Amino acid sequence: MKLTPRISFYEASARQRVAGLLDADSFREILPPTEQRISPHLGMFDAPVAFDDGVVVGEGTLEGKEVYIFAQEGKFRGGSLGEVHAAKITGLLRRAAIRKPAAVLGLFDSGGVRLEEANAGEIGSTEIMRAILEAQRAGVPVIGLLGGSCGCFGGSGITSSCCDALIASEEARLSVSGPEVIETVMGVEAFDSRDRALVWRTTGGKNRFLFGKVATLVDDHIPAFRMAAVALIKPSEPLSVESLRAERTRLARRIEDYGSCTDARQVWARMGLDADRVPDMTAAELTAVKPA
Amino acid sequence: MTSPDKIARRKDKLERVAKVFGPGKVIPADRTVEFLELILSPGDRVVHEGDNQKQGDFLAEKLAQVDPKKVNGLKLAVSCIGLPEHLDLFENGIAEVVDFAYAGPQGGRLAELVANGTVKIGAVHTYVELYARYFAELRPDVACLVAIDADAEGNLYTGSNTEETPALVEAAAFGGGIVVVQANKLTDNLRRVDIPGEWVDFVIESPKPFHLEALFTKDPALLDETRILMAMMAMKAIYQKYLPKVLNHGVGFNTAAIELLLPTYGEELGLKGKACTHWALNPHPTMIPAIESGFVEAIACIGGEVGMEDYVASKPDIFPLGRDGSLRSNRFYGQMAGHFADMFVGATLQIDPFANSSTVTADRLAGFGGAPNFGAENRARRHLSEAFLRAGAEAHAGEYMPQGRKLVVQMVETFQGANKPTFVERLEAWDAMKTAGFAVPPVMIYGDDVSHIVTEEGVANLLLCRTMEEREQAVRGVAGFTPVGLKRDHAMVANLRDRGVIQRAEDLGIRKTDVSRDRLAARNIHDLVRWSGGLYNPPSRFRNW
Repeated sequence: MKLTPRISFYEASARQRVAGLLDADSFREILPPTEQRISPHLGMFDAPVAFDDGVVVGEGTLEGKEVYIFAQEGKFRGGSLGEVHAAKITGLLRRAAIRKPAAVLGLFDSGGVRLEEANAGEIGSTEIMRAILEAQRAGVPVIGLLGGSCGCFGGSGITSSCCDALIASEEARLSVSGPEVIETVMGVEAFDSRDRALVWRTTGGKNRFLFGKVATLVDDHIPAFRMAAVALIKPSEPLSVESLRAERTRLARRIEDYGSCTDARQVWARMGLDADRVPDMTAAELTAVKPA
Repeated sequence: MTSPDKIARRKDKLERVAKVFGPGKVIPADRTVEFLELILSPGDRVVHEGDNQKQGDFLAEKLAQVDPKKVNGLKLAVSCIGLPEHLDLFENGIAEVVDFAYAGPQGGRLAELVANGTVKIGAVHTYVELYARYFAELRPDVACLVAIDADAEGNLYTGSNTEETPALVEAAAFGGGIVVVQANKLTDNLRRVDIPGEWVDFVIESPKPFHLEALFTKDPALLDETRILMAMMAMKAIYQKYLPKVLNHGVGFNTAAIELLLPTYGEELGLKGKACTHWALNPHPTMIPAIESGFVEAIACIGGEVGMEDYVASKPDIFPLGRDGSLRSNRFYGQMAGHFADMFVGATLQIDPFANSSTVTADRLAGFGGAPNFGAENRARRHLSEAFLRAGAEAHAGEYMPQGRKLVVQMVETFQGANKPTFVERLEAWDAMKTAGFAVPPVMIYGDDVSHIVTEEGVANLLLCRTMEEREQAVRGVAGFTPVGLKRDHAMVANLRDRGVIQRAEDLGIRKTDVSRDRLAARNIHDLVRWSGGLYNPPSRFRNW
C-alpha cells in the first residue's frame, strides 16, 4: 500500500512549523535570533544557550487574517520554559490583548519548566497563563497546537489548558507530570514509562480528543494543522460563573462515567468504541465515530 | 558413528526416567529439576537452544537449579549466552566449559567470569560453525530445545522462529543424544509438524511462553541525516555500480536506512528489478515499503520477527511459508543463503587501519554471531552473477586466473559516540585475547575480506587497492576526524580520490542539501503499519500511538 507523502509537524523545527502554518512569506519575527536574547541562567551551568532561547514569536497572516504566533523549539533543551522564553510568549500575548489580532496560535513542544531556571521558569509559566486570560478577556482567542516530539508537559501542559481550543495529532502528548515522573513517584507497576503504547493511549492526542480536551484531531501533516486552525478562529468567549459551573459539572460527570477505569482502553470501550481499533484509526476515522 | 557407550548411557537414562515418571514423553513442569537430574550425568555436553531472538528460558532456569552434587562438570554449548542463568550454571558449579557464538547482553559478565576463572571457554564460533561442530566433535549428550506447540508424541510446531531447532535436533537425535523440549503449549492439534516426534524424547509445557526478542525492528524515527547520507552514498557507489541481486543486510540502523530508501532513491537510481531482488534476511519491518513497491522477489528467513506474522503470511511468494500459511525460518539454511550471496552490508564497533573489524572490547566478550559467514569473501562460491563478476574484475585485475568476488561492505559512522572513535590504530580484540587467554585476537571480519567501507566522509573501495599501503590510506581517507583519519597521508588520499578508490558525496553527485528524512519511504513505525495495510503489529514498546 503506497503512502501519500506528508509534511510532518512532529519532525519539523519551530520555524518550519510557523512557515508552514501561516500564509507564505507573511511571518515577521519579534526578537529574532539576531537580537541574541539569551538565557541569563544557563551560562552558570556551562550549558549551551540559543539566541532565541528556544521559542519563536511573531506575527503574520492566516488566510489573510492577522494572527500572532509562538512556537516552542523542542530540539533546544526539550522546549523547556526558561525566563526569557516565557517572557517572549508573555509579551506577545500582552501585545495581542492591546492590538487584537484575529487569534494567537501557540505551538507547544515542551517538557515543562527548565530545571536550571527553576523559580524564574515557574513564575514565567504563571505569567503566560495570566497573559492568556488577558488576551481572552480582550476577545482574542488563543489556540494551542500540539504535535511536537517533546509533547506538552509540566508548565506547558498547564498553560496550554488555558487555551480556547486545542488542535492535536495522535503523536501529541498532553499531561502535567511526564511518564517518567509518574513512574518514579508511583512505581513501575502503576505506570511503565517504557511501554510506549501505554504512554500514548494515556496522554496521547487521540485519548485527549476522545475526552474532549482536544477540539480537533488531525493527522501529522502541517497543512492539516493549518486547516484546523483556520476553522477554529472565532472571538474568545470570556470565562463566566456559568461557564465555570458547566465545566465543573462536565468534569464531575467524567469521573462518574470513567472513574473506575484503569486503562484508556476501558474508557474507549465504555464510550462504545472498538478499543483495539482506536490506535490504528486515522484522524478522520476517529472523528467520525467519536461520541458526542 | 555413535559409540556403543553413548547408546548404553542413553538407554540407561531413559530407563531411569521411566521408572520415576512412568511411560510417555510428557514431563510435568513442576518436576523439571528432578527430571533433569535423571537425564544428566556429570561431564555431559548439553546443547541449550537460545540465539539472539528466541531463548529456552524455562529450561535454562531449571538447569541452573539442579543439585551440583549430582550434576556437575557439564559442557554447555549455546548459540547466544543471552540469559543470566547460562552463567549461573558456572557460578553454581554445575557447568565448566562453554562453547558459543555470541554473548550479547551477558558479554560484560562473561568477560568477568572468564577473567576470574569461573568460566572456561571452549571456543567462540560463528553460528554455522557451531552447528557444524555439533555434528563432529561437539556432539550433544542432551539437547534442550524450544517449540511453540508440542503434542504428546513429541511432534513440534516451531513456526516463525524455527531458526536453529532443526540443526540442533538433527545433531542430537541422530547422535545418540536425548532431546528435551520446552513448549509454550501442549495440544493435540498442531498446525503443522516442523520436527517429527520420533526425534524428540521429552516435552514439557512451560508456564510462560519462551522469550522472544524483537531484534530486527528498527524505528525509522531514529534515522538521522548522517545515516541517510551514508545510505545514499552506498546505494550510488555500490548498489548501482555492481547491481547485487542476492544480499544480506546486518541488524543495524545504517542498513535500515537503505531499506527505507529503496522505494524512493533506489527507484531513482534504477535499482528496481536489477538489484536487491533476493535476500537472506529476517522479516525486517523496514523492508515493508520495498516489498510493497515491488523490489523484492524472495527472502530466505534466518529467523522470524515479532509482530510481522500476519504481514509475512500475506506474502506467500516472498516468504517461506508452510502449508498452514505461517512462516518457517531456518538459521542454518538462511546463513548459507547469505554465505553464497552477492553482497553483505553490516556494521561494527571498531575498525583498524587494515580494515579488520571487531565488536569485542576489553570488558565485553560479544562473540561473532552470524556476521563472519555473511561477511566473508566466499572462496567456495562457483556460480556467477553480474555483481560477483564486476567485483571480481576489480579485485583480480591483471591476474593470471580470472575470478569473481563477493562484496563485503562495512558501513559505520566514524564515531560511535562522543570520544568513541570507530576507527582505531589497534583493535581492543588484542586486549581481549590476553584477558580471555585466546591464541589469536577475536576478529569479526578480517580486513582482506572487506571490499568497501562506507562512512559519512565517503566510500573506500578496497578492491582497487594494489598494496597494503594503499589499502591503509584508503581506510584512513574515510576515517574522518578519528585519530586514524587524522594520520592520513594527504597526498596519497588525494591520489586515491583521483583514481576513484575513495569517493566523497560530491564525487558521487550527491548534494548534502538534498539529504533529508523526506526521502525515507516511512518516517516512523506507524508509517510501516500503514504501508503493510494494517497487517504489521509492532510490539508495544515501538508504538507512539
